[in-house]
Amino acid sequence: MLKNEFFKVFFKLLITNSNNFNIKSFNKNKIAAIICLLAVIFCYSQKCDLEFEGQILDLHDNSPIGQATIKVVNSDQTVFSDDEGFFRLKNLCPENILLKISHLNCKDLFQEVNLKKSVFRKFYTEHHIESLNEVIVEGSRIRELSSSAKTYLLSDLQKDKYSGRGLAKALEQISGVNILTTGNGIAKPMIHGMFGSRVGIIYDGIQIENQQWGQDHAPNIDQNAFDEIRLVKGAGVLKYSGDTPGGIIVLEKKLPLINDSLYGKSILNGYSNGRGMNFISSWTKSFSNGNYFKVQGTIKRSGDFSSPNYILSNTGTNEKNISFTVGKNKILSQWKTDFSYFSQEIGILRSSHVGNVNDLVFAIESNNPTVINPFDYKVNSPKQINKHHTASIQYSKRNSSNGKLNTEFSWQRNNRKEYDVRRGDLKYKPAIDLTLNTYDLISNYTWEKSNWSLDSGVFFQIQDNQSDPETGTRRLIPDYLKTELGSYFTVSLIPSNSLGLAFGFRFGHQNNHIKKYYKNKRWEEENYDEMLAPFVINEVLNQKLIEQRLIFNNLSINTGVKLSLLEEYKLSLNLFHTERAPDIAEMFSDGLHHSLATIEYGNPFLKSETIQKLVLDFEKDIGNFKFNFSPHYSIGHNYIIIEPTGIEYTIRGAFPVWEYRDVSSVIRGFDFDFNLKLNKNFTVRSTSSWIQGYERKSKTPLINIPPFTSTNYIQFSTPKFKSFSMAVSNRITLSQNQFPNHNFETSFIEYGKRVDRIVDISTPPKGYHLLGMELHWGAYPFFSDKISISIIFENLLDTSYRNYLNRLRFYADELGRNIMLQIKINH
Amino acid sequence: MLKNTFLKPIIPLFLFILISACSKDEDPEPANEEEVITLVTLEVTKVGSSETITYNFEVEGHAHDDEDEDDDDDHDGHEGEHIEIELEPNSSYNVSMLIYNDTDPNNVENITLEVIEEADEHQIFYAITDELSGFSIASGSNDNSDSDGNPLFLKTTWTTTGETSGDVVSYLIHEPTSKTGSTRNDFGGATDFEIEFEVHVEE
Repeated sequence: MLKNEFFKVFFKLLITNSNNFNIKSFNKNKIAAIICLLAVIFCYSQKCDLEFEGQILDLHDNSPIGQATIKVVNSDQTVFSDDEGFFRLKNLCPENILLKISHLNCKDLFQEVNLKKSVFRKFYTEHHIESLNEVIVEGSRIRELSSSAKTYLLSDLQKDKYSGRGLAKALEQISGVNILTTGNGIAKPMIHGMFGSRVGIIYDGIQIENQQWGQDHAPNIDQNAFDEIRLVKGAGVLKYSGDTPGGIIVLEKKLPLINDSLYGKSILNGYSNGRGMNFISSWTKSFSNGNYFKVQGTIKRSGDFSSPNYILSNTGTNEKNISFTVGKNKILSQWKTDFSYFSQEIGILRSSHVGNVNDLVFAIESNNPTVINPFDYKVNSPKQINKHHTASIQYSKRNSSNGKLNTEFSWQRNNRKEYDVRRGDLKYKPAIDLTLNTYDLISNYTWEKSNWSLDSGVFFQIQDNQSDPETGTRRLIPDYLKTELGSYFTVSLIPSNSLGLAFGFRFGHQNNHIKKYYKNKRWEEENYDEMLAPFVINEVLNQKLIEQRLIFNNLSINTGVKLSLLEEYKLSLNLFHTERAPDIAEMFSDGLHHSLATIEYGNPFLKSETIQKLVLDFEKDIGNFKFNFSPHYSIGHNYIIIEPTGIEYTIRGAFPVWEYRDVSSVIRGFDFDFNLKLNKNFTVRSTSSWIQGYERKSKTPLINIPPFTSTNYIQFSTPKFKSFSMAVSNRITLSQNQFPNHNFETSFIEYGKRVDRIVDISTPPKGYHLLGMELHWGAYPFFSDKISISIIFENLLDTSYRNYLNRLRFYADELGRNIMLQIKINH
Repeated sequence: MLKNTFLKPIIPLFLFILISACSKDEDPEPANEEEVITLVTLEVTKVGSSETITYNFEVEGHAHDDEDEDDDDDHDGHEGEHIEIELEPNSSYNVSMLIYNDTDPNNVENITLEVIEEADEHQIFYAITDELSGFSIASGSNDNSDSDGNPLFLKTTWTTTGETSGDVVSYLIHEPTSKTGSTRNDFGGATDFEIEFEVHVEE
């Protein structure tokens, strides 16, 4: 009986085998049973009658891939997948076989299969290998940060050109971006007249936290560690932040290809001005299993810069940065962990350290800085030593319905030490020593379909600021613990090729726990007893310690539309509503600024700043004449500004007091870029921006609004010499004629006579224009690598000028001529 | 699925509680202002007399509540009520300047010693207005000097002739670019203190 049953099944198997049966339709248990039985009966027999069936699918969207070649290596068996991606290999022996799956646009996939029975398997191939690296393949195409607001990308050439000069300098090449400087080594990006906390810098998905409120605090980041620098003007990217009405700068590393390779890039820059050099090298090792390792380092050393007529003493810089990334890219899921260390020592112009306003008057009236020493590499006080550490881990996973979950944890530790010109042992002690630890946890889910996408996420941040009491000065900002919890949601719709819509919101709940010492004198003058008395927890040495918990709930909203008109023209309109909690510095700063001889006080009663901003982009990006015209208009409520409110007398002399207050503001302007291809050799490129900012009620202009600037390039290249190009540039900066008048009077004794003098800290310097030239050769083959060489001339005519947006403009001229040699090797 | 729908709302709630619980536990230490000069005194002794009159110049520092108002007046321009130093005509006075940081009354720091130690990086300058005709300030015989022999003007001899009155401003200049000059501007550097007083030469 049993024997009969067995033969029946066996017979059936033989028949079905010869009839190309579909395994999927066959009961799996039965197959297993049969195979077991077969194994018992035909022990160790090498019968090559197994079938292997499979399906080839796209890694990203699970779509079937037809017409793929499936070859059994070391045999002549080759089949093609059908339209559904299915294939079938027959008459296989029970052994290890190696399959080679190839398809147009795909990397060959080798897969070993230990065949013991007839099985079915799915294979994922990287059909869209380009889509992961759009930038490489499509060259100029930008990965948009927003579906409705325009994304600007720095080209490799633009990025490398200023590889030795800091992030802000590189970004200045984009219209509407200015730099706010303190001397020549410290530069902050300013977008649409806003800077500091109003401009977000996102690196590897997390906003950098490096005491960005300070005018003389440059971003503590090495842009050379990143492959891509993108920018959105206006608060367009709610995914990253909702309190940055100026704009967002996003720095990202590209994911390496999934193959076995080692590549890298090294740049050596040498400068005549400052006799400096910097060397940048980055290496990526990737493996075919998706693992990769990246390391990047920068060293920079530069001595005193020179203006056309004198040396700018104590303006040298030292910088050492290193970053590592280890990750695994499995396409459907990927993880990576980053570590980076940034350390920088920047000298601040020696003559900018003044004791009181009378010293400032002398400095303003003198044409030359009061201290000019011979050229030196040594950095003395006043100086800053900044260190920024980052450690982060990120994981993301795609699912079959095009959703992607991304989670990241990051820790940042920023230490800022500012050294002043001091006496005795204090010389070696920083006057400001702030340590800021920030922990971020973000998690988001994106869902992308061909004509719509959703992105929603939650974020959580803890930030702990500590001000070292050993500095021997009052704390500039108090110790605080800030926690923020929030979430965002953005949706974009692309109903047709000519229309895109976007909407998003971001909500953040922020809790600041502050402990601050107030001097009794200030406490009484401001009559803080009335409002802050309940918060006093201790009294020591003429100081009151207050403890406060300040809560801010902020909602930011963005809506935008993008239209294509007549194929060539694109119009996009974005409306932003942003709410920003006041910075701790804006509420509680308390200290003396030596470079402007000012005492700065925060305002503990500030409310969240609200800005409504409209940005329009009218763009033509096809043809010989391309342009982008982008007007913007923003209205601020409780817009926080710092302004002089009086004079404070100390034993040092008189100091103007600057206090934070809120105003209703209007900032408006436009950016205009064009690119005109004159003929096959010449192209004209131009970027211009104009901006105006004022208080709405009094029409008083806002301080530090950039004057009109226009940069024009004529580029020359010829098909005859493919590896040579050159450009001549002219940057015109007009004088800012709209500025608030903060001048005040002081009196002192000069040659025995009492004199009264107006301290002119308001009048902007004259306009200027700067000529530049760049010559690029390459890339040429160089052993197995490629080498390019550039020579860049800045301020070619050695023009003496001063810049309104330089806080040290009262003391010295800007940089004179600089010749830069850049050698770039792509390994 | 059930697990997810149950867990997801819990996480933000948990975080919310965590936020509210986050605190700076320890009180920050008060920062001592070590650098500041809070008190400058002039000890005026007439040559041939043993009586010394001390004049205190201070702004900020610990609150002498009753004096605070006066202190401010000392510096709000030249028309205010300044400290007046009364001198006799045709006389010489030895004047010592002493510089302190008395932010912490229990630990008053004598900065004069630091200034002497770093004489090369410091200079005191007295600016005398033209109204004080016949009044002069010279370096005293016991004055301290820097490594080049330039007197610091910490110890000075004041000489009076006829009756007169006018303002004097004294500066401590840190890292001056020149150690000599006839007006403040000639010295460069940064002002560490600036005190102003009236000199009255009367019978």
